[in-house]
Amino acid sequence: MSPLTLIILLPLLAAVGVAFVPRSFRLLIRFTALLSTFVPMIVSLALFVMFDTAQGGVQFGQKADWVPSLGIQFYVGVDGINVCLVLLATIVAFAAACVSWEIQQREKEYYILLLLMAGGIMGAFASLDLFLFYFFHELALVPTFIMIGVWGRGADKNYATFKITLYLSLGALIALIGLIALYQNSGLRTFDMIELARQLKERPLSTSTQQFIFPWLMFGFGILVSLWPFHTWAPLGYGAAPTAVSMLHAGVLKKFGLYGLIRVALPMLPEGAASWVHWLVALSLGNIIYCGFVAMRQKDLNLLIGNSSVAHMGFAFLGIASFNVLGVTGAVVVMVAHGLLAALSFGLTGYLYQTAKTLEMDRLGGLLRGMPFVGTVSIMAMMAGCGLPGFANFVGEAMVFFGIWKVYPMATVAACWGALVIGAVYMLRAVRVVWHGASAPIGDAGTVAWVDAPHWWRRLPYLLLLSFLILFGAIPRLLTDKIQPEVARLLPVQKQLPVPSLAVKSSPSESPKPFSPAPLAAVAVSDSIFQHPGEARHRTERNDP
Amino acid sequence: MMLQHIAWIVLFAPLAAAALIALATRRDDRLSAQISIAASAVAFAGSLILFLAFDRFELAWSWLNVGPLKVDLGFKFDALSGLMLLVVTGVGTAIHVYSFGYMQGDRSFARFFASMSLFMFSMLGIVVSNNLAQMFVFWELVGVSSYLLIGFWYERPAAADASKKAFIANRVGDFGFLLGILMVWGLLGTVRFDELEARLRTDPGAMGAAATVAGLLLFCGAVGKSAQFPLHVWLPDAMEGPTPVSALIHAATMVAAGVFMLCRVFFLLNVPDSSALPVIAWIGGGTGLLAALIAVQQDDIKRILAYSTLSQLGMMVMAVGLGGPGPAMYHLVTHAFFKALLFLGAGSVIHAMHHEQDIWKMGRLSQRLPVTCKTFLIGALALCGVPPFSGFYSKDAILAQGFEHNTWLFLLAVFTAWLTTFYMSRLVIVAFFGGPKSSGAEEAHESPGIMTSPLIFLAVPSVVAGIAGIPGRLSTQFGAAAEGAHGPAGFAALFEPFSHSPLPAFLGLLVFMLGVAAACSFYWGAKEDPLPSKLGWFARAMKDRFYFDEIYSALVRLTQETIATAAAWFDRWILSGLMVRGAHGTTELVGRALRLAQTGNLQTYALLLAFGVAWMLFYALVAR
Repeated sequence: MSPLTLIILLPLLAAVGVAFVPRSFRLLIRFTALLSTFVPMIVSLALFVMFDTAQGGVQFGQKADWVPSLGIQFYVGVDGINVCLVLLATIVAFAAACVSWEIQQREKEYYILLLLMAGGIMGAFASLDLFLFYFFHELALVPTFIMIGVWGRGADKNYATFKITLYLSLGALIALIGLIALYQNSGLRTFDMIELARQLKERPLSTSTQQFIFPWLMFGFGILVSLWPFHTWAPLGYGAAPTAVSMLHAGVLKKFGLYGLIRVALPMLPEGAASWVHWLVALSLGNIIYCGFVAMRQKDLNLLIGNSSVAHMGFAFLGIASFNVLGVTGAVVVMVAHGLLAALSFGLTGYLYQTAKTLEMDRLGGLLRGMPFVGTVSIMAMMAGCGLPGFANFVGEAMVFFGIWKVYPMATVAACWGALVIGAVYMLRAVRVVWHGASAPIGDAGTVAWVDAPHWWRRLPYLLLLSFLILFGAIPRLLTDKIQPEVARLLPVQKQLPVPSLAVKSSPSESPKPFSPAPLAAVAVSDSIFQHPGEARHRTERNDP
Repeated sequence: MMLQHIAWIVLFAPLAAAALIALATRRDDRLSAQISIAASAVAFAGSLILFLAFDRFELAWSWLNVGPLKVDLGFKFDALSGLMLLVVTGVGTAIHVYSFGYMQGDRSFARFFASMSLFMFSMLGIVVSNNLAQMFVFWELVGVSSYLLIGFWYERPAAADASKKAFIANRVGDFGFLLGILMVWGLLGTVRFDELEARLRTDPGAMGAAATVAGLLLFCGAVGKSAQFPLHVWLPDAMEGPTPVSALIHAATMVAAGVFMLCRVFFLLNVPDSSALPVIAWIGGGTGLLAALIAVQQDDIKRILAYSTLSQLGMMVMAVGLGGPGPAMYHLVTHAFFKALLFLGAGSVIHAMHHEQDIWKMGRLSQRLPVTCKTFLIGALALCGVPPFSGFYSKDAILAQGFEHNTWLFLLAVFTAWLTTFYMSRLVIVAFFGGPKSSGAEEAHESPGIMTSPLIFLAVPSVVAGIAGIPGRLSTQFGAAAEGAHGPAGFAALFEPFSHSPLPAFLGLLVFMLGVAAACSFYWGAKEDPLPSKLGWFARAMKDRFYFDEIYSALVRLTQETIATAAAWFDRWILSGLMVRGAHGTTELVGRALRLAQTGNLQTYALLLAFGVAWMLFYALVAR
């Protein structure tokens, strides 16, 4: 049995097991949840360390027939890309189980759903079969809705549940249509992603078919990742969700869409992607710039973090849109980094909410003195959120910028402004209002005793997420050396990249526009001074082994 | 060979100290401070060994290697970085020791030293960078350590606001810097300094018409970090931080990083196609003049020094723009010593006056604080450019550079030098001489030895750095580009400026005397500032910093705040409201409409069924 099967099955079996435990055995239920997420984390960490970078390809795989007539298999395995994502998923799942101490009611049902969700998430990222991949995602999605509805918080809870359910179901449905169309048109009668990618690389679908299928995947997956303007479910939903659900969904499950774009859409539909990719660039700037501005105006800390999380997704989209090894690798790094960061941020705001019973920033203030630990980690998380080097987010974003620069220079200008300035403005505002300044005890709640995560096990989930964020930020090659060869293999061997000469003429004083037609025009122009000797080299490296 | 690896100790000792304090010893104030001071001293000793043992070497460890992007964590040691290492670690160590006295009794003593060590690490990282991307990484880290230290007393709203302002202003500059890096990388295909230099040496026109834009974008980084016009507004506010921080970060080292960076990438600016240098020179000169004018009418001792720092940085940037990275670096080094000295002296005064910073509440401190006063005078004389103090020689190098290349800028620099002498004399006369102007000034006591000994330690290089042969060492770096850098060291250097280019040297001396004379006539024995009544609105404008802060906040309100409000409104009412709820409403309406079909009446169902069958039959049989 592959260790991956263990990773997936453990939480799922634990969910079944918990169902048979009487609800008064609260400690046993919690302990089961912690253990059945802790063990997968250790296993996936071992996989991450043992992954043979030199060899590459799919490792620790396991294959078994499921529905042979349709070519559906139980096929799990990791390559350089999803070994990182599985690690992310298990870390966040364990952290989410850790912060679930806040749940006081109907614990049994809560933990069953949480474990189902965790198992589904791990399954989605470990699967190499398209059907299984989609199946696990749905398996994780359904508990999400129920948990927001039952254990959610705030006045908007019902509306948020309704909205997130509608949006995500719609997105998943649209993506499903695209996937079925892809399966049908390939005519290969297999859902094996590796096989599909290999076959479709040799015998690509016709351009018109690709152009028809790609938008289904792009918008379907896009909605799941809160692509602008289909993002409004995200801040609201995360604001209303219980802490662990925000962490798991914003941190990991959301990345399903991006992963699908990288794993399925780009390699199997390269020409479709090429004709739609400027839309992706334009919409991703909507994420980065527009949602950044929206974040500046939020009064609720969770809505601010939610909007910034949506904004960060723009960098991943932008990296994917760059269509080159550097940018797409950057996008994967952004996925991992943002996953850790989103989980950390929502975990911390969840803690703050438990203490203060509110996240309205006007009513908070000067909390750093009373909560030095939570405050310090929060400030670090916010710094990571505005792209400070030393945290993994910077590495990912920087790679995206370098990757996209040669293709869409004006979009890069706008994205850099979003990352460096807009991000700093709203993040520092939050730090200033919530943590700095004179302490202002909350009005009607009276003087709140600020409890600063007194025990090490309360601190553990935050420290865990933070230390991985710093580890990958300090030594990014831990990630990139694994991701890069796989991305190079997935990306189609392209014709000479159309290279714009606009960069040369771009003026620094020109203000970035969220959606400027310039990048589209730029594609047509070609200029040889941008050709880099390295470019040709890694293009030859992309050949299949 | 092994000796080179001291380099890593130099770089990582402060980081290790910061991590150790943060993780382990933060509850033990004394021990934390000792760790931090020891790390700084180790870095200084290591730098000294490297400086004596090597001329140049380079170590590199591959940090990121993806496709066409290769970024090292490098340690580039040459004349430029060697000198800068000594300045940063030397001045840094003195200030660490001083802080041990100055910060005594602060409730976050350990946090202060952890932040200082983090700053040292980041700053050293910039200095030893062997590529642009690494420089950017540490550039940002320096920005955040500055943020942490300005906002050290984060409970004070002014400090919290100042730290935020500093970080965002720096981020605006970094935005340009990052684009500049992207552009250079896009044009030349690498971020490593040696490869870039080699590429430009073989083909000076490799960047083509984009050279100017790329150069100016890189310069944006320096505009932010070195607080040049138009991003100069953050530096005076940064004085909200503890005084040792002002001395180390906002006078001696971090703000000079911009100038250092310009010197490092000088070969990118100085290409035939580029016309970036004149722009740089004028922005530098303009900032120098502007800041000197503002300094004349400030009353807060730290703010006067802050504007003086701005002004001197402007002079350095101007020197780079005039094609003289040598003089710029020279002035950077001497300025680091005497400005750190001045700030620490100011800190000693503030300490003695129980946190009173208004010079009009001081007076006759020369008798109460003898050591502070003497060392402060040394610093002031060096800043005003009096031989044989170090500032004279470096400032003269800049004036000579201006004299050779641009007469207007030369005159501007001379006028700035006059203003410099004027406001420094004003400060010294008002604060240290005349009658005591408050009871605090009468009762002030000299600071303890742990604070005065760093003053003496810094006073020595402030005096002798001018004859230590720095230009000679730098000339190996910039070669022919370092025109105006004079070679000799020791006694021969003492009178060298007068023979090398006599006019700037004598003019510099003349404006010093005029400045002192003017300040004496206005301020000797004065109880309040006579200038506002003489200059009227202009003095008012100088005092109010020419209203830049007001203009900027109006601009931000007008643009950013408006856009943000509009976006939030759109998000809430259009995207979330109209579209989502609209879709919801439509769905519900359709649902209601369909419910009409669900009558529960069997005949209706049968009828509908019949219609359906009929339609399908029609479709299957006829329509095909």
